[in-house]
Amino acid sequence: MVFLTAQLWLRNRVTDRYWRVQEVLKHARHFRGRKNRCYRLAVRAVTRAFVQCTRARRRKKRNLRTLWISRVTAASQEHGLKYPAFILNLIKCQVELNRKVLADLAIYEPKTFKSLAALAKRRRQEGFAAALGDGKEPEGIFSRVAQHL
Amino acid sequence: MAAVVAASALPVTFGRLVSACSRSVLRASGPGEGIARRPEWQVCSEQGEAREAWAQRDRWNRTARCPVGRSSLWSASRRFSSQSASFPQGYVPKTSLSSPPWPEVVVPDPVEEARHHAEVVGKVNGLIARGRYGRLFAVVHFASHQWKVTSEDLILIENKLDVACGERIRLEKVLLVGADDFTLLGRPLLGKDLVQVEATVIEKTESWPKINMRFKKRKNYKRKRIIVSPQTVLRINTIKIAPCLC
Repeated sequence: MVFLTAQLWLRNRVTDRYWRVQEVLKHARHFRGRKNRCYRLAVRAVTRAFVQCTRARRRKKRNLRTLWISRVTAASQEHGLKYPAFILNLIKCQVELNRKVLADLAIYEPKTFKSLAALAKRRRQEGFAAALGDGKEPEGIFSRVAQHL
Repeated sequence: MAAVVAASALPVTFGRLVSACSRSVLRASGPGEGIARRPEWQVCSEQGEAREAWAQRDRWNRTARCPVGRSSLWSASRRFSSQSASFPQGYVPKTSLSSPPWPEVVVPDPVEEARHHAEVVGKVNGLIARGRYGRLFAVVHFASHQWKVTSEDLILIENKLDVACGERIRLEKVLLVGADDFTLLGRPLLGKDLVQVEATVIEKTESWPKINMRFKKRKNYKRKRIIVSPQTVLRINTIKIAPCLC
């Protein structure tokens, strides 16, 4: 016989509700208050936590860059240079170190950072001399741009 | 491939840099200065050829900011000074506007600089040749990141490399190599014959499952995605330098 509708005693019932609830609660076990026990409150807290985690991954890159910049600023101030002058003159000397590495050098390799600051300072003075000097003097030694293959 | 800047932290320091700025004031001992410095600007005199030289070289007096006219200051000093015979030609008394407000820029003598640089480079080359350095560190550009590495370091790369585990790799883009007494900076990279950085692939694994969730309140919009990205762990074995500075 062909039945066009399902039997009345066949029902769709949830049998794994416990595991579905545990999937959410396991992410909330370290929360504070009733949201680590009660599913209804935990769902909201866990959703917020996931969304904030996603957002923080984007923000982490910005925050770390700000941190590196402030560290490099502090270190270059110790050597008598401001951060924009330092970075600009390093770029003009074709030294392509990024801010993360410059901050690490400032912390762990002070002598190297001092030589980088000295290089930037010298390049800056050569830039001033070239700008003020009417173009009749030969260009500075550290202003020479190396040509690459 | 690229020029190398060598800096030495020894007593022969990376010095001879620009000395402290000094005001470019025409002091009374003007003609007696030993250093043959070319002045960047000059006060005019009332003679014709001096006026032409002034017109070519004197930027400061031509700017709108300088209130000193062509001959007013000079003639004023001539008029009111009773000891004009003792001052040299072109002397201007020091006022707040007699010299440019920026500090005088002094670039050291190029010939002497070149000799000094050659000396420093020779010394560093000698140190490298004799092996007088301790632990070396290098800044390496790899997988679109810059890493400051030494030997026995572990590096975590957030992607897959087409290399089997246990294979040795040479990292070629080296930006900086340093020891205790000297640093070699590349502009922007150091030569391949100068530095060799060797690494081994230790493990190729996956990251922990990162959760990407988007949610808008009261709009029934919720999307959850789990991202597992491949990772590679490298161990830096050695950093070697060769004495081929020129």
